[in-house]
Amino acid sequence: MRELMKNANGRVTASMLVMGLGQLCYRQWGKGLMYLAVQIGYIFYLVTVGARDLFGFFTLGSVESNPWYGIEGDNSVIMLIMGVLAWIVTILYIAVYLSNIKDVYATQKRVAAGGRPARFREELQELLDGKFYKTVLFVPVVGVCVFNILPVVFMILVAFTNYGGEIVPPALVDWVGLENFRKILALGEFAPTFFKILGWNFLWALLSTAINYFGGLSLALLLNKKCVRGKAFWRAFPILAYAIPGFITLLGFKFMFSYGGPINHYITEAGRQAIGFLDLDAKWSARIIGLLVNAWISIPSSMLLATGILSNADQSQYEAARLDGAGAFQQFRYLTLPFVVFSTTPVLISQFIGNFNNFGIFYFLRGGLYIDGYFLASDTDLLINWLYNLSIDNNYYAIGAAISLIIFIITSLISLAVYVASPAYRQEETYR
Amino acid sequence: MKKRKPIHWGSVADTAITYLLLLAVGFVFFFPCLWLILASFSSSGSIYSFQGFFPSGYSVDSFRKLFTDTAMYDYPRWFGNSLFIATMSCIFGTMLTILTAYCMSRFRFKSRKALMKTTLVLGMFPSFMGMTAVYLLMTQFNFINNHWGLILIYTAGAPLGYMVQKGFFDSIPNTIDEAARLDGATNFQVFCKIHLPLSMPMIVYTALTSFTWPWSDYILPKLLLKTKDTWTVAVGLMSLGETEFSRFAAGSIFIAVPIVILYLCLAKHLISGNVAGAVKE
Amino acid sequence: MTRNIAALTAHVLVLALLLGIFGSLSLGRDEARAQTKFTGELERNVTLRILENDTAKEKGYFRELLDAFNQAYASYGIVAVDANMDQYTDLEQDGPYGYGPDVLYQANDALMKYTDGKHIQPLPVEQLSCYDQISPEAWEAYTVEYCGEDYIFGVPVNIQGPLLYYRKDLLPENWREDWDRDRDDVPDMVEYWTELYAYSKQVREESGGSKFGYMKSLFDTYFSSGFLFSYGGYVFGAGGTDPSDIGFSAGDASKGAWVLRQLASIMNQDCIDDTITVNAYSMLANGTYFATMTTPDVYTLFIDELAKEYMRAENLGEADAYAKAAENLVAADIPKLPASGDLEDRDGETVDSVMMGGINGYAISAYTKAPNAALAFVDFATSYEMISRRNELLGIVPARADVATQAGGLSETVNANLMAGQIAVMPSIRAVAQIWTPCQTFFSDLAKDPFRLPEEQKYQTLEALRRALEAVDEQIYAAIHTLN
Repeated sequence: MRELMKNANGRVTASMLVMGLGQLCYRQWGKGLMYLAVQIGYIFYLVTVGARDLFGFFTLGSVESNPWYGIEGDNSVIMLIMGVLAWIVTILYIAVYLSNIKDVYATQKRVAAGGRPARFREELQELLDGKFYKTVLFVPVVGVCVFNILPVVFMILVAFTNYGGEIVPPALVDWVGLENFRKILALGEFAPTFFKILGWNFLWALLSTAINYFGGLSLALLLNKKCVRGKAFWRAFPILAYAIPGFITLLGFKFMFSYGGPINHYITEAGRQAIGFLDLDAKWSARIIGLLVNAWISIPSSMLLATGILSNADQSQYEAARLDGAGAFQQFRYLTLPFVVFSTTPVLISQFIGNFNNFGIFYFLRGGLYIDGYFLASDTDLLINWLYNLSIDNNYYAIGAAISLIIFIITSLISLAVYVASPAYRQEETYR
Repeated sequence: MKKRKPIHWGSVADTAITYLLLLAVGFVFFFPCLWLILASFSSSGSIYSFQGFFPSGYSVDSFRKLFTDTAMYDYPRWFGNSLFIATMSCIFGTMLTILTAYCMSRFRFKSRKALMKTTLVLGMFPSFMGMTAVYLLMTQFNFINNHWGLILIYTAGAPLGYMVQKGFFDSIPNTIDEAARLDGATNFQVFCKIHLPLSMPMIVYTALTSFTWPWSDYILPKLLLKTKDTWTVAVGLMSLGETEFSRFAAGSIFIAVPIVILYLCLAKHLISGNVAGAVKE
Repeated sequence: MTRNIAALTAHVLVLALLLGIFGSLSLGRDEARAQTKFTGELERNVTLRILENDTAKEKGYFRELLDAFNQAYASYGIVAVDANMDQYTDLEQDGPYGYGPDVLYQANDALMKYTDGKHIQPLPVEQLSCYDQISPEAWEAYTVEYCGEDYIFGVPVNIQGPLLYYRKDLLPENWREDWDRDRDDVPDMVEYWTELYAYSKQVREESGGSKFGYMKSLFDTYFSSGFLFSYGGYVFGAGGTDPSDIGFSAGDASKGAWVLRQLASIMNQDCIDDTITVNAYSMLANGTYFATMTTPDVYTLFIDELAKEYMRAENLGEADAYAKAAENLVAADIPKLPASGDLEDRDGETVDSVMMGGINGYAISAYTKAPNAALAFVDFATSYEMISRRNELLGIVPARADVATQAGGLSETVNANLMAGQIAVMPSIRAVAQIWTPCQTFFSDLAKDPFRLPEEQKYQTLEALRRALEAVDEQIYAAIHTLN
């Protein structure tokens, strides 16, 4: 950068002043106009809404609206969100601005070395070759920024406001700093419940991930056996289970295990007492049912995945192993498992996270219970369910956001550590 | 040619056990579905007139009602809406996911590792907390009651799940690309001509999953689609009255149909495409 | 070097300047002038989006209402249409962004929740033709005090209070001799909980446990909390406005819990979860249950199911089956409770049941573009003709006294109950959302108790029940206040 500042010629300076100007001086019309368009677009955005949104981000509104008398005031939450959006737009703009300078400087160097400025057509071609990744990743990155990063940033920011309870629009929300975290720490009931649920949550995530993963893998291996005829037919059963939306499955299973459900029907028919599989005393039976139902829902997709991955395995190695006299188990242990684990560690991590944050299972199977010894939660609730009870049910968005921020930090550190240590991340080239 | 093989009792037992296991697995997965299917053919609306798992009388009434009695519950329309949203999201989502995975696997650039870590961490944020944000954002862009709004969100979220596909591309040997590069193909051509055909099973898997997600999602459509004529099947089904169980079951069964059809069409691609074999020649 | 820095700085400065100017411009704004919305002058050529409940749509009442209104107001160009949204849609979420309906028909607690955020409009109800016909108790449910003044936010249409539904044709043949000790020609088991308890016990024993008398999912707070209220419990103090005073354990509420526990013992375990709520329609129809408790608005669902059963079992034609169903399905007032709280105590003093209820009504969104037309719609929909038509088609209990008197029977009883304080109207404050889970947990625990092994039973004494109810109060208090 220093070097650039020192050596840049007038055309680069022109681009620093107005984006695309330098490129136009080099007669790179297409590119120059595009940069210029970005420049004009950003100024237009700033003048129309951008400036307002960036200011709104800090003030979060000053006039309370009163719909009764038709007074339209500020909606703090909208202001916060549009403020974040304005920041994202600005950051993207800065990125484009910097690339504009680098680009024109590159041209300067090229010309100085006796070359000529790249033609628009050539640049476009380069976008399909050397810079193919830039072309491709542009759309996903913007999409993820707006629809995934923005909501996350929004929620993180909410943790530092007083949004929630009585203070929801049209009331004005304000920044409160670390107040919410102080409240959580000061709360006596909070810690015991938090650790109890955290423990169960980890156990649940570990168990369910293991069950689903190995269940899916063994099913795929079973179906891959040479002796199985009509593979598509056998595979259709799990697919059928996969095809029914999760919430319907959950409602179905909840009914199946309810007091009036078919299982208890047969139990009472046989003259025994009906069993409360999911009622308030049913701590472990409810947990186990949760694990099994989750397996029923998730194994088909993990089977599909394993099937896809296995089809990519190097068959020649198996041939060699067979010639060396390796048995089926040895083949599995030394060839299949390392290969599959290698290809799927990231998936394993994302499945773990998915299960860690599996909201639906216990919400549908056993919602609406507060068990003794838990603060506004039941003994099957995962952290995310508890969070839901605390925040959505009660409208305490700020507190909910603060707790989820804490959970988020814990879980993300753990999974990042696992991911960075995994072979899939460290030795991406193993199977190349 | 007519050499008779000696019978290996070990392998016969193995086959028998395999089939027994398959039968058990088939039963476990099929039975609850069968139950739902039977319930949809029940003649009484209520599930409590069942004897255990089986209804006391059968009729196709609930299916007839599902498609003809549309004044309150316009199932055909909801079905169409779902189909549109899921198909569009599937097409765009699959494209983006495969391309993203390909880039992350094949290119080495500065921000790559940072991107990989970010995407991993992003999935960990409790998603329902962000729902408010998505909803408010969509009200600002006037995307409420609009199917394209949903498609946009699903498509934008799809590339986040690129990990599986990246793992797949990682296991395709580099030698293939290099050969092609030597012949003067651009990266784009290498991708289109070589990787795409090789990754058919992965594309099928991606297409299936990115179809299924919007197809069976309940929360997002419930949030963004307010008027009944824009609803999807999932939202519509949940609004059914409590005495309408057989109609609910019929609706649920029908939800599964497109996915099963999609699977049947794609099934043969799911297992073919043996990369390693292709390289060796 | 300097030239470049100058260029960079200039670029940043220009943008910052633009940002500063237009940002601060957005801060200063004209003080919007408050305007009165109900000028009495009807807006012309507007479309009103009306949210109605699903039953009204299904039974065709809503169509009739829209048609009648559109015809009457055609000259103003006012058109009312179905908002076509979920009947429980949340105005707080949709309204501010312009997606909500103009007029809403919902329960009072749902509607009054919107007053916090000023999402529904205070109404000049004195202008409405129904004003004098609706009892002050019903208006009360829609009244909120702001700065010392009372504002009314909705127009009561229909009173929801639990009723006892039973099958007349399942009464024992000799009930006049054996089950009418007070000789008032009404079966005692639908007048007194003690008798219903005794009868249920008898039915269960005689059938060997395959048939039941009274059945109801006890975990359902809406129906079970009434037993607590009958003995002095309440939800919130100060007439339901003070969420720091929670009263589920107040007075002798533990006696009510004791009654519930005894009732559970004559049912089966289905009363622990929501099984009975869902299966009552078909079980009452096929004669497995003799009676259940539910709200007036599902009356038609019971009739449908019972008629279907008659058509199937007795091969009756549709008209005959419906006539027979209407004849035999009786919706009666809730029976009286024993003052002692002991259902074995058949000769002791009795107290009236107080049940949790609600009042459904119309409200007008504060975001409507046509408040006067919306008010005209509400006036039209609550007119004598429309309400009595509604009563005919939907079997609801009208809040209008004239329609109630004319309809007689149940409608009159429920109205009288409301006025006599026997319907505890659900409080209209936001904190109500916090009562459900703690209560539901307690009631299902209570319902399960008789089915536990004797040594594991938790609620054998009134003292234990009182302590449990106090714990419920504390839990609700914690849910409302700890994080606030």
